Amino acid sequence: MERKYTILAVLLIVLALGLVVLPKKKDLKEADPKALLSAITEKSRYLSVDLVTHRIIENDPTLMLIDLRPAKEFKAFALPGAINIQPESLLSVTTLELLNQPGKDKILYANSDLMAEKAWLLGTRYSISRLYILKGGLNEWYNTFIKQGDVSSTASSADLDLLSFRNAARQYFTGAGQTSEAPVAAKTPEKVNVVRKAPVAKSGGGC
Amino acid sequence: MIGPIISSGIVSQAWDNIFAVILGMGFGFALESSGFSSSRKIIGTFFGYDFVVVKVFFTAAIVASMGLLYLSYLGLVDFSLLYIQPTFLTSAIVGGIIMGIGFSMGGFCPGTSLAACAVGRIDGMVFFGGMFIGVFLFSESFPLFENMYYSGSQGAKMINSVFGISPEMFTFFLVLAAVGMFFGAAWVQKKVKKIEY
Repeated sequence: MERKYTILAVLLIVLALGLVVLPKKKDLKEADPKALLSAITEKSRYLSVDLVTHRIIENDPTLMLIDLRPAKEFKAFALPGAINIQPESLLSVTTLELLNQPGKDKILYANSDLMAEKAWLLGTRYSISRLYILKGGLNEWYNTFIKQGDVSSTASSADLDLLSFRNAARQYFTGAGQTSEAPVAAKTPEKVNVVRKAPVAKSGGGC
Repeated sequence: MIGPIISSGIVSQAWDNIFAVILGMGFGFALESSGFSSSRKIIGTFFGYDFVVVKVFFTAAIVASMGLLYLSYLGLVDFSLLYIQPTFLTSAIVGGIIMGIGFSMGGFCPGTSLAACAVGRIDGMVFFGGMFIGVFLFSESFPLFENMYYSGSQGAKMINSVFGISPEMFTFFLVLAAVGMFFGAAWVQKKVKKIEY
């Protein structure tokens, strides 16, 4: 092999060795207090149960659900694909490695927002990106998807679509068979089209 | 230009396609000028008379990985802004086998076949046509393959985390492997009868 290639090969090895021997940078950089304050005041950290459920059903590979409840509750029930992390181990090296995975939306949840809020604040302070909270927690998710919702007679077509999605999601998660909701959902739009246009128009005018 | 220039807001999203065209032209020029539009040059890797393809791919991998790590160390690149393609293990293995068979049979990969088309090579055009037929058939029959396509999802997984070592250490081993391959390829090339093309 020519001398110039040998020199290049040696140079490459030296450069690669340099990467290994360079002193490690402190990985845990804390967020700037102003940026943290701005993040706290913004509401973009909340993801609705509908959005998250849609992503679960779609098998979104960028979704990472983090269940912050005790292991016993997690074993009893958890959202599909969720990982159980105890709040006390949130800053362990393994958890931080997991949370620092690029290309993933990390969605925190517990029974309510309280624990997820604390974990979000801690994670954001450690500059973990794409960290979100499931708005309302598992209680909200249960109330939305597992409990039967009432259909308002003034429901708009968007509301009916949402209800239809929630019914489908209920079947997806519980395996429950088709009940009488579908005919109700099918009948209601007729009423909306004919009679209930006025409230929608009023609302639009008001805006 | 998924990241980090656009994702950090230095250049607006609207420039995405402009960058893609300019980079594509540069890539095509580099392929043609280094002889990659010839299927005989590419197929030389399998017969042992020309290892330029392997050398180029390894060089690209080590230069890019070392460059990213040094830029990150100097604070010029934020890793969290880079998009990492999620890993789907099953489809990667199946796709890799199909790609390997196509590569060794046709003597082109998708990019080099386009370079060959651009300079008027008939074999490149046939390969390119075949590739489009394959894409069409796959798209039309996608529901049949959908489960396999999405199976083995690993998320945005990095190979160094699979081995449980740091990215720097992995890059060091990659450079050692590449340098070993450069010398090994030169040795094999000397032993194999030279083919003029």
